[in-house]
Amino acid sequence: MFAELEKIFYFTKRDIISFSTYKTNIAILVFTAVFGALSFAYLGSNASMQSVLQLYGENFTTYILIGLAFSSYLTQSLTLVQKTINPWALEEVLVSPTSLTTFIIGSSIWGFIWSTATVVVYLAIGVFIFGVSLSINILGTVIVVALGISAFIGFSMIGSGILILTKQGDPVTALITIATSLFGNVLFPPQVLPPVLQTIAFVLPQYYFFKCIRLMLTGWTIPMILPDLLILTLMSAIILPLGYGVYAWCLKTARKNGTLSWF
Amino acid sequence: MNDEYAIRTVNLTKTFRSKAQGANSGFFSRTKVTIKAVDNLNIEIKKGELFGLLGPNGAGKTTLVKMLCTLLPPDSGTAFINGYDIVKQPMQVKRSLGTLFSVGERGFFWRLNGYRNLEFFASIYNVPRQKRQGRIKEVLRLVGLENSAFDLYQKYSGGMKRRLALARTLLPDPPVILLDEPTTGLDVISSRNIREFVRKTVVESGRTVLYTTHYIEEAAKICDRIGILKQGQIVALDTPDALRAKIKKEEVIYLAVEGIMQSQIEQLRNLQGVISITENGAEDLAPNQYGFCLKLNNIDDLPSVFDFLFDQKIKLVNFKREEPTLEDAFIELTKRT
Repeated sequence: MFAELEKIFYFTKRDIISFSTYKTNIAILVFTAVFGALSFAYLGSNASMQSVLQLYGENFTTYILIGLAFSSYLTQSLTLVQKTINPWALEEVLVSPTSLTTFIIGSSIWGFIWSTATVVVYLAIGVFIFGVSLSINILGTVIVVALGISAFIGFSMIGSGILILTKQGDPVTALITIATSLFGNVLFPPQVLPPVLQTIAFVLPQYYFFKCIRLMLTGWTIPMILPDLLILTLMSAIILPLGYGVYAWCLKTARKNGTLSWF
Repeated sequence: MNDEYAIRTVNLTKTFRSKAQGANSGFFSRTKVTIKAVDNLNIEIKKGELFGLLGPNGAGKTTLVKMLCTLLPPDSGTAFINGYDIVKQPMQVKRSLGTLFSVGERGFFWRLNGYRNLEFFASIYNVPRQKRQGRIKEVLRLVGLENSAFDLYQKYSGGMKRRLALARTLLPDPPVILLDEPTTGLDVISSRNIREFVRKTVVESGRTVLYTTHYIEEAAKICDRIGILKQGQIVALDTPDALRAKIKKEEVIYLAVEGIMQSQIEQLRNLQGVISITENGAEDLAPNQYGFCLKLNNIDDLPSVFDFLFDQKIKLVNFKREEPTLEDAFIELTKRT
């Protein structure tokens, strides 16, 4: 009996020691647990519903529907590079005469096709079952989606670069995920938040992405959303190359240290 | 790029710095460790050669392979693959190389069949589209997987997975192939198949192969030359036979004689060049026969032993000279500091 308890102790000790080596991951888990739930406090509140009506002229169902449907694009973009940095797959590609850019783009297309299919299903359900009324500006929607994806791929590359070095626990992806749910304009407008927190929302591309996409699906034209679209464009133009630079640097460092295939 | 060497390293060096957990270290304390994995290495491998790189675990074999295939940048020095510099011309190096890592199944897609896996790799290895199908069928046939081409990869045995990895390595028809412990973890038959394939099919087609292994006899069986790597440095480099001969050891002769007396054994013991005589009883000896192991300073001392036996009219029943094995050479060379 004692011998078996001792074995269980050593199993646990093994796991604690292993877990403790991923310090970044521990910090992220704590942070996510504390802040992740906060976003739901605002979901469905009266203030949210009134704010949606005032800002977008939409009912809350349309607001939520578009937020959920298009968040899959951002989720896909955010996890995209991480999916490709499986150490074995990455090594196989790095020894082939194929560039990393080709590899990342090639590995992502199916994810975006799937996300598009998800969006179509979401919108179809909204229109045909819940009677949501949409007036889609196709060109504007494509532009906004492309800009949103660009910014999020930039975030994804920063996070993945850090993950290559830390092996588990990527603070950037965790922060962006939390920020999206809390300040991203997905489930409730950030205008219902206290003024200090609203400031955070206005410096995030998620806010402008969801604002623009909602307007592009509800009868607005590109010139009408130009200021927000320009801010989103500027953010994407900064975040994407920054992400590529961080990712390339982290990859180079891991290769130099010989830790690329560690995990 | 003309270069008589397919692989040439020039003062190639790689050092790793890492943090190690000590037995008594806490969660937040680690000891810094520096390991020189490859140390100022200079090797020249001619085109068409099958070069074996032999070394114990941790000798630096995989680090060397990873540097040669551009996966790991060297700290100093460089190497040339097919005339291309691994530091300055990585893309040309990648086009000249096929690399098989020791974990054969890495990078494959488990829910695709063998053919579809190779189709994907053919595209990223720039196999021309119009030649792709033919090339895939060819390499599948070469590794003996043509009948399993459309089975899911996850259903392949360990040997089949390694053969598919070998097929992937050959897919772009590279002039230089790096095989990093290709038989590790395989059964005897699969290992032999891989070795035979490398010797017959790969090398006879004119390709150059760097074959790393820690299986001594495997290297001896197929390689033209063998380099023994220890702590990142080549401690010996020659043909398998020459490496065996390099081991300076006493000559050990096993003799079985008939009708020898104890006094004659003592006389034999006192002959010049004889180091020792020990009894070596064999089951197949007759009652009047005597087997012994004779250690000599040199093989040149053997004729005097035979002369003594002839003069004393002692009948020689059996004679065997112990040959140094490559394993002896390996142990001897790697234990020298």
